[in-house]
Amino acid sequence: MLHRTAAIGPWFAQSMDDIEPCLSSPMSDAPTIGVIANPVSARDIRRVVANAGNLQTSDRVNIVLRVLGAAAACGVARALMMPDRGGIRALLDRTLRRELGQAHHDAYPALHYLDMHAASTVEDTYTATRMMADAGVVAIVVLGGDGTHRAVVRELLRCGAQIPIAGLSTGTNNAFPEMREPTITGIAVGLYASGRLPPGQALAAHKLIEVAIATDGRVQRDIAIVDAVITSDRYIGARALWKPESLLAAYLAFADPQCIGLSAIGGLLEPVGRLQPGGLAIEMAADAAHALLELHAPIAPGMVRPVPIAHWQRMVADEPLLVAHAAGTVALDGERELGFEPGDRVTATLRENAFFTVDVARCMHLAACDGLLRTPVGAGLPRGLTR
Amino acid sequence: MAGNPFPLNKQQLLQAYRTMRTIREFEERLHVDFSRGDIPGFVHLYAGEEAAGTGIMMHLGDGDRIASTHRGHGHCIAKGVDPMAMMKEIYGRKGGSCEGKGGSMHIADLSKGMMGANGILGAGAPLVCGAALAAKYRKKGEVAISFVGDGASNQGTFLESLNLAAVWNLPAIFVVENNGYAESTSRDYGVAVDSYVDRAAGFGLPGVTVDGTDFFAVYEAAGEIIKRAREGGGPSLLECKMVRFHGHFEGDAQTYRASGEIDDIRSNKDCLKKFAAAVTAAGVVTADELKAIDHEVLGLIERAVVDAKAAPLPTLADLTTDVYVKY
Repeated sequence: MLHRTAAIGPWFAQSMDDIEPCLSSPMSDAPTIGVIANPVSARDIRRVVANAGNLQTSDRVNIVLRVLGAAAACGVARALMMPDRGGIRALLDRTLRRELGQAHHDAYPALHYLDMHAASTVEDTYTATRMMADAGVVAIVVLGGDGTHRAVVRELLRCGAQIPIAGLSTGTNNAFPEMREPTITGIAVGLYASGRLPPGQALAAHKLIEVAIATDGRVQRDIAIVDAVITSDRYIGARALWKPESLLAAYLAFADPQCIGLSAIGGLLEPVGRLQPGGLAIEMAADAAHALLELHAPIAPGMVRPVPIAHWQRMVADEPLLVAHAAGTVALDGERELGFEPGDRVTATLRENAFFTVDVARCMHLAACDGLLRTPVGAGLPRGLTR
Repeated sequence: MAGNPFPLNKQQLLQAYRTMRTIREFEERLHVDFSRGDIPGFVHLYAGEEAAGTGIMMHLGDGDRIASTHRGHGHCIAKGVDPMAMMKEIYGRKGGSCEGKGGSMHIADLSKGMMGANGILGAGAPLVCGAALAAKYRKKGEVAISFVGDGASNQGTFLESLNLAAVWNLPAIFVVENNGYAESTSRDYGVAVDSYVDRAAGFGLPGVTVDGTDFFAVYEAAGEIIKRAREGGGPSLLECKMVRFHGHFEGDAQTYRASGEIDDIRSNKDCLKKFAAAVTAAGVVTADELKAIDHEVLGLIERAVVDAKAAPLPTLADLTTDVYVKY
């Protein structure tokens, strides 16, 4: 059975040894992966206010095909996919019909779409994640930006399902999902899903920021996998953030100086690695008189802006930090999500070992060193589960 | 409650609500009166789509031009066209916006920058390129906006207009009102790639998608796009994902809709309910203030219908006026 933590209580495992891949699931001889490809990432206002790019639907489909083809070559026999009405499914179906009609019947896993209504909102991602967890997938490949990855992780945590994700960046910001060739991600996911690389070797544990807003005794919780930013905007609107003057504070799970977006503010002040303990909390200054310095940060694609900084400090896991601002909106991974008012108590807490990804770089290194992709001449790679 | 969190002041919020409510009640009244056989010709109702037209038009002045579609009543009202004159026009009476000679699909008021509702799919886009070129020459920072539906976005006129606007860097904005149906054809069947942002990128202009049932999302995105165009930043495309409450035309049996779909969108995707909930929850506007507007609007619509029914029909002599040839 799929191993699950309780849905209440800590959202995170103590260690990767707590993860049991679905080796004993009903489909254990046909390792199954999930694929969630967001058709609407990289479509927001940053195309106009910044030089954010656009990833064509056909490119998203190509990414899915590359992942599936490589995963099939490494033993994945079955894939469950989130259906969409943004054109990915339609193009994917057309392409697979054409390619499978020609030859190479086993070039791809058997692809099944989840039996769900596609509402074309983030609810699709939540529903798909839940259904994939119920179906016992061993990993979920995610195509999207930070927001899509966050939605998948959020639902996995809500369900208590410890399924690792493998992220591919097709969003605007992409601080969380690394830029990576999808074929390589497919190989890594395939080697893990087929059991040729155990969790202790194949997976990486990640941090997140847990935000809690307490109002009259009720507590609303949510998470960010990169950054939770407090803004003075007090409505959701077009969701994206691009005005430095609206930024009040930022709480970062990691701070990579090579990322753009709001986490770049931290990355260029004091880098904190993705897998390194600790996070970063930053207070922006209200004006020049209160600023310690100005940081010129790439807060959106092609946009380097001065951000006045009052101070910053490292975050320690499980120690809540109280948000000092009376009212505003909490943006989670770059999108305005939660409003709060005077009288609300807002805290940000770093959690470590909160969720897992397939560590593609490590998997490929091990694949090379352990000869996982070597076979006798003409033998072919193993299909199905390798115990 | 600590002040107004919205990017509009209270007066503007009330105006936005009044505009959306006026569109809603205008359309719902036409729905009823059409079923009684009172109205000549076809009408295509904008009910459910109010937030898109209103959120965009609140950034425009009379010097900015728009070209609309067959579903044009909402665009007209949001652009400031007189609802009394509109109702007379729909009833085909003298005193209407076009003296009763155009009907629902041809309401226009150039003094308000409304170049007309239009019965030809995709016809507005090239007109807007012309208006945008004129705006560029006048150098007053004016813009021109073309509204098309998801069906008309497949028309050559629309695609050609995207290209021309990009090549000439026109202050033109193309709004795709994607309500999911081209008449009775779902976009699943009619649009190979349901992303107008992809199409815009293919022509070299930026595109943005917003939830068209969220007034504030539309208002914010439209504000940035229009500002960019005014400042010489060139054309953009704005896709508003929305829902229409009624059929393509009045009399449409809507057999292409899923069971329960209309009830679902009226309950969960009503832009007026969402707007009212947001502004009252924030404490900026009271429910009573909104109810007062509802009451006034119903009175306005009633007067418009009474006046329209009482207005005279055009005469035979009116046939040869308002045309290019002198008879």
